[in-house]
Amino acid sequence: MTKQLNIMANPLIRDRLVDFLLNEVLHVSDLCDLPEFEDYSTETFDLLLDSVRKLARGPMFETYREMNDAPAHFDGKRVITSERMKDLYPRLVELGMTNATRPKDAGGQQLPCVIMGVCAAYLSAANVSATCFATLSIGAGHLIEAFGSHILRERYMAPIYSGEWTGTMALTEPHAGSSLGDVATKALPTDGEHYLISGSKIFISGGDNSFSENIVHLALARIEGAPAGIRGISLFVVPAKRLEGTDLVDNDVTPTGTFHKMGWRALPSIALTFGEAGDCHGYLVGEPHRGMRYMFQMMNEARIGVGLHAAATALVAYEESLAYAKERPQGRALKGKADGPQVNIIEHADVRRMLLRQKAISESAFALVLICGQYMDLSRYATEAAERERAEKLLELLTPVTKTFAAEQGFESNALAVQVLGGAGYTSEYLPEAWLRDQKLNSIHEGTTGIQSLDLLARKVFGTGGASLVGFAKEIALTIEAGKSAGVEESWLKALETATADVGELSQVLGMRAMADAEAGMRHSHDYLDMFGTLVIGWVWVRLATAASRGIKNGGARADKSFYDGQLRCAQYWFANEMPRVKELARRIEVGDDSYAAMDHDSF
Amino acid sequence: MKILVALKRVADPDNANKVKVSPEKIDTTGLEWKINPFDEYALEAALRLTEDGKKPKKREGEVVVMTLGPKEVETTLRSALATGADRAIRIDCTDDELDGRLVANALKTVIAEEKPDYVIFGKQAVDGDNNGVGQMVAELLDWPMATFAATIQEEDGSLLVSREVDGGMCTLRVKTPAVVTVDLRIVAPESVYSKLTDKAHKYSDGVRFAALPAIMKAKKKPIDVKALADTAGGVTIGSNYANFEAPAARAAGVKVEDVAALVDKLANEAKAI
Repeated sequence: MTKQLNIMANPLIRDRLVDFLLNEVLHVSDLCDLPEFEDYSTETFDLLLDSVRKLARGPMFETYREMNDAPAHFDGKRVITSERMKDLYPRLVELGMTNATRPKDAGGQQLPCVIMGVCAAYLSAANVSATCFATLSIGAGHLIEAFGSHILRERYMAPIYSGEWTGTMALTEPHAGSSLGDVATKALPTDGEHYLISGSKIFISGGDNSFSENIVHLALARIEGAPAGIRGISLFVVPAKRLEGTDLVDNDVTPTGTFHKMGWRALPSIALTFGEAGDCHGYLVGEPHRGMRYMFQMMNEARIGVGLHAAATALVAYEESLAYAKERPQGRALKGKADGPQVNIIEHADVRRMLLRQKAISESAFALVLICGQYMDLSRYATEAAERERAEKLLELLTPVTKTFAAEQGFESNALAVQVLGGAGYTSEYLPEAWLRDQKLNSIHEGTTGIQSLDLLARKVFGTGGASLVGFAKEIALTIEAGKSAGVEESWLKALETATADVGELSQVLGMRAMADAEAGMRHSHDYLDMFGTLVIGWVWVRLATAASRGIKNGGARADKSFYDGQLRCAQYWFANEMPRVKELARRIEVGDDSYAAMDHDSF
Repeated sequence: MKILVALKRVADPDNANKVKVSPEKIDTTGLEWKINPFDEYALEAALRLTEDGKKPKKREGEVVVMTLGPKEVETTLRSALATGADRAIRIDCTDDELDGRLVANALKTVIAEEKPDYVIFGKQAVDGDNNGVGQMVAELLDWPMATFAATIQEEDGSLLVSREVDGGMCTLRVKTPAVVTVDLRIVAPESVYSKLTDKAHKYSDGVRFAALPAIMKAKKKPIDVKALADTAGGVTIGSNYANFEAPAARAAGVKVEDVAALVDKLANEAKAI
């Protein structure tokens, strides 16, 4: 063990950053003018955030290491989750985290998604596994709310929202992961209101636990005789225990093991069998064969949620490595004497590079998640139909980028946090290695990066005939105008404008190519996502730099000056180091190298 | 049962390095404020004393929070209301107008009007660390007092209050009406029991946090405002602040050759042994 340094307690996410994003960039108080949010004010948001910060920095973060060190495990019959969850889950519920954003008539509290995003970010920065028992539950409840019958809502959604029960998504099967059209779990109609479900599921996060009375699985299954593929899949409520009258009866849902995961260790990922004894009841949600469509309507939310976890995981590691760099003496300054005192490693240029890169990635990823949160709110509740539609379209386009940028660049950012700690970072005595492991999941679940790149290019860009890009270019133009009036560095605005034009031109070329040859058009979808993400983050940094420039102009306390300077330095870094990649990637995509596409299997 | 809890907002102790000090004043602009942690514990103790600890919980009694300060301190009161207090009282004044004796006198007036069964204070505020107001209020009211409470157990018409002392616990029984000041341990899981609470019940460690539904309800809870002149009973500020200075920065240490040198330094320089 190295000498213990006097390192400041990790704030998880800096309150000043949150305040800046909510009030100076997104102006969330405007949301409170909408009728659906009229009960809220910045004061109520602050009170909620205050509680969330206490829970996150206290019980949630204090238990993270212990829960990471003792993963949930299978005892042959049930999955044993951390004892700590017996305290933490009721506290998450009490704060309102299992129903906050749901409408009042569904038993929720109609909190704006953007505020819930901040709450979830603090909590998942503290303890992502513990938090996700709640976010998975709210997702399951939301599906019943949106598509289920009145009876299902009352019997199976309400107890999830009130926190008595938890919920899961039971989609994946051994042969149906990314390709859910191949789901084989069967649903046999009966004379009663239920179907008999039989089949096996894997990778069911939170699929069993030792703290909630019941677990409600939202499962995909194929009704007997249904058409093959995606169009034959239906959605069912399959509870671990079913309600018969007011009694809870065992529903023949059997955990068969846990997977030993790289990260997120306190949240079990399990294998489940439905109907081993032929007595597993499932209740159809909505209409038959529309299960995938229902799932996909929740997909934006789920994917932005992943982006949020990714941003939070990068932010907390950045804070940890920053505090370490400020306290760890090692080596001498280049200009210093060889026998002089050691300097803290934050003095070294390359350490500063690693810190600024983490900051530029993690803070912009977080900002992008919150921008999407605001679009979610506007797409639902904006007064004007045109405004709702605009928000919806932007959300559609930005979803794959928000998820992937935060997950992929977040992974790089988390690796840099480990690197800043050097040898210490490679040990489990320090937390950055655990966050690096946690982060890896985010480029995999809810659609891998590869799938996100197909979604972006095929569905969002080609699928709209480029209209989505035109809409986004309008937003960028507005951002550039605002940047000009706030006095943002001219060259950044120019670079953003040029990059937008480059992406637009390339997309046209690629669209034509894809019409002639789909494979050739899609071959570089990953590069396209990388390029588009770099552009989007450039747009984010201009928005943040605009707010920071205004903040400096309006004056403010000394501490604010250094905060605003930090934002401007990130923007400077992004435009100097990353924006040039847009052109380079565009060229690469246009050339369309076929090295891996044309290569023979045996040659790999 | 009616309990009054006095709250003070203090500059966030985690950001103490931001405080700018000049000989004339401590500059509070730009500081972040929060409830004095010991006062949060007092509120938690009061809430536990008015409920049964069951799920869903039943409450019997009322918790009223009070503070002194400008309009902005209503944020602090609103936060206490969102945590579970039933109503609030603010005595309007600026922070510069106050010292402990004046605060105690103003609170005394409010307490005499409200006639609570108990008044609970944090043992001290973490800004000045004066540890005086609770005791002064008890004296002014001529009420029994138990300070630095680590546990409280309600009995009929009295409280059994224990404080930690060297080698054990010192327990006092105070009859209503009484003043209690609380220490850190009061928020441990088994520290406070009302008459209604099952002795097997364990609370979550620490103070409760304002939940979203309660935050929304708190918007409608009343905050009464009183004038300082009407409550101070003719008492005015009695402390004259002569000078403010920041503590000297800690000097670098030295390395000693051996144990003998260390003992010599401890004995002769530090005069510690």
